[in-house]
Amino acid sequence: MPTVGKWDDSAVSPHLHERGQTIERAMLDVLIALMPAAVWAVIVFGFQAFVVMVVSVATAMLTELVMRWILGRKATLHDLSAVLTGLLLAFLLPVATPLWVVAIGSFIAVAVGKELFGGLGKNIFNPALFGRIAIMISPLFIYTTKFVKPFWWRGIGFFTPIQAFIENEGGQRIVYKTIAGTPLDAVSHATPLSLIQNGRIVVDTTTGATPVGATWLTSTGAPGHHSLFLGLRSGSIGEVSVLLLLLGGLYLIYRRTIDWRIPVGVLGGALLLFVVEWEQPLYQMLAGGLFLGAFYMATDWVTSPVTRRGKWIYAVGIGVCIGLVRLHTPWPEGVAISILTWNVLTVAIDRYTARARFGAVKKPLFNRIPPVTGSSRQTE
Amino acid sequence: MGWADNLKRSLLVKGGVHPPASKLAAGVKISDGPKPKRVLIPLSQHVGAACEPLVEKGDRVLLGQKIGDSDSYISAPVHSSVSGEVTSIQRFPHPSGRDVLTVEISSDGEDAPAPGLGPAPDPLSMEPGEIRRRVREGGIVGLGGAVFPTHVKLSPPSDRPIEAVIVNGAECEPFLTGDYRLMLERGQDIIHGARIIRRAVGAERIIIAIEQTGPKAIAAMREAVPDDGIEVFILPGIYPQGAEKTLVKTVLGREVPSGGLPMDVGAIVDNVGTCAAISELFLTGMPLTRRIVTVAGDGVAGRANLEVRIGTVVREVIDFCGGLSGDPGKVILGGPMMGLAQYTMDVPVTKATGGILVFKKGSVFCEEPGHFSCIRCGRCVRRCPMNLRPYLLGSYSDAGMWDHLEDLYINDCMECGSCAYICPTKNPLVQLIKVGKEGFNRRKRKMEALAEKASEEAEEKENAGKTA
Repeated sequence: MPTVGKWDDSAVSPHLHERGQTIERAMLDVLIALMPAAVWAVIVFGFQAFVVMVVSVATAMLTELVMRWILGRKATLHDLSAVLTGLLLAFLLPVATPLWVVAIGSFIAVAVGKELFGGLGKNIFNPALFGRIAIMISPLFIYTTKFVKPFWWRGIGFFTPIQAFIENEGGQRIVYKTIAGTPLDAVSHATPLSLIQNGRIVVDTTTGATPVGATWLTSTGAPGHHSLFLGLRSGSIGEVSVLLLLLGGLYLIYRRTIDWRIPVGVLGGALLLFVVEWEQPLYQMLAGGLFLGAFYMATDWVTSPVTRRGKWIYAVGIGVCIGLVRLHTPWPEGVAISILTWNVLTVAIDRYTARARFGAVKKPLFNRIPPVTGSSRQTE
Repeated sequence: MGWADNLKRSLLVKGGVHPPASKLAAGVKISDGPKPKRVLIPLSQHVGAACEPLVEKGDRVLLGQKIGDSDSYISAPVHSSVSGEVTSIQRFPHPSGRDVLTVEISSDGEDAPAPGLGPAPDPLSMEPGEIRRRVREGGIVGLGGAVFPTHVKLSPPSDRPIEAVIVNGAECEPFLTGDYRLMLERGQDIIHGARIIRRAVGAERIIIAIEQTGPKAIAAMREAVPDDGIEVFILPGIYPQGAEKTLVKTVLGREVPSGGLPMDVGAIVDNVGTCAAISELFLTGMPLTRRIVTVAGDGVAGRANLEVRIGTVVREVIDFCGGLSGDPGKVILGGPMMGLAQYTMDVPVTKATGGILVFKKGSVFCEEPGHFSCIRCGRCVRRCPMNLRPYLLGSYSDAGMWDHLEDLYINDCMECGSCAYICPTKNPLVQLIKVGKEGFNRRKRKMEALAEKASEEAEEKENAGKTA
């Protein structure tokens, strides 16, 4: 009897799949969306920013390759998820972070944050944020506290590398130097959020708006709203230009790679808190990594809820959390910790917000799921 | 139909996907299929109990003669689609993938009809019971693909008043055009059949539901509709709009309860093909021995909508349409979303076969699926017409965690394939769910049997204690 098909996996319906929607394509979309912000970061923070991104991406890719080989899994570099994790981690770090710290962070992000959980799709935490927090709660923390002024390289040289040294004279202190030996303290600057946190400044909204090219600080020493929006400020590599992050985010929404509910919910939740407490809402919204987190981190497919109601709960929760951390804790920034917190809750949110069964007589507002009984695995 | 109408319609439906329609044979008129020298008529072509053969090897049978029947209520007899001699009764490959007891008949080419077949007098004033009896004897089953015995549908219990007969002309599967052609060419037959059904169930309304993607069919049916409680309802062009529960929800706004039937919400759904078959049964007396089959795909030379005799071997139908073109990679009976891929072309056309699709090796229809690697994008959850969570069904089935599948309502899944269609990682979700259903239901039966045994033992002990 001649055989025309194989009576195996490929023979089960459906025999048709939607074209053009693959993981690779989705990852590529996010990378495309991040490109403007990446290019801007290099312009603002010099060639060193590019080096940090390359080190982070390369380490992430190498880690994934090696980890999957060790764990006996198929190599999946082609799905671009390691590239994305590496780039996002670089975006979360200050440009003056020593490269070996970048590499460690990237290694932890991929090896622990993703592969040890079972690989892409099974990780509980957003890997890039996991790597960032791992650095933050370790002794390496000290290496990520120095932020430089935008365009610090003017007059020093675009390609000037930055090196960090720890000095132990009179307590541990970190000193950055350019390769030429110039201490970077001369060009370092507090981030907009740390300025506000210390209670030192109030934004001068009348003169705060300074055009590009002019001095980027207001008379009070903090960047004005325009500077924040356009990206003329100190901060982590990828977070500085709200405008470019927003453009990329809109592209992702247009491509349907991300669900608009999540960025809207995160931004809305944060705005709600800033408005209720009236703590310079516009400044708070534009400062820090809020837009980076809302469009590129909270929207991660793997670690965000799948239901629509769940997405709203999760997103608004993150937004409110960010507000609470910024306004009521000693930390100036709360994006990473808020998103990671809600990452943990994702599975529970999905569980209780699932749509009621088709044809259910009573449709409860929240899905009540009976506790699972019996052993978790039965072979028969 | 303006954009506002389209928007309103698309809001009626939650979930669903938009596979390309690919209705290649939409412009081809229905024509007669091959005249086979030999037919293979499986004794199980429907949902329910398989038939027992009524003939023996060597018997002469006539066209339309009943050759298999069953005592079970949920079953339908099968009839010979040719006149000739029974050459064997044995197991043959069946489109379902199993080997099924089949009556092999070699045709004498005469098509001599069985005696006693003739038009029914005035079916529209016939007793409902008599209509049901005739429908059962005619071997009529749902021709949309589910092949549920129609006489069962026509017998709602008295506490289930039927308000509307919904005639299903959605045909949401890509490629298939048999129902579409039927609506264009035999609208009167469909309406006649629908009226007989309405008479049988005592309904008032007949609603002919057609997808907005077939404006010609809508126009044709509107023209054919006389004004006596028959309406044409335009459906959004979404897959799986033709699925019974989805259809009732869209048309009447009611959800059929889980595990229930449309009659639970006052509706009965019949495919346009079924209506036409009922009409033919009452007009000519000829039982279900032919059905319309769409032949299409890049692996077959021609494309056609053929009225094929049930039992014709698929290979013969393909040859009739000009034969294979190129190296075939997949032969699918039914549509690409829910159809069954065949391992041989020597299976017969059955009552369930709405299409024969042949695709070349390397075409998009022959892609290998990936391993299960969900990244929780959530598309499957939002597209599932039954509000299920396919990604979890897939994970738990993959891990063999059968107990969890009950809380996820695995038996509500109708295997429409929307989840697997939309999945960016090409997970074989439908296959995993099929495995999960099998595992879950087997375990459930086993647990029930154990519980029964335990209670019996306890009873015995009690009795033993009493006698002692």
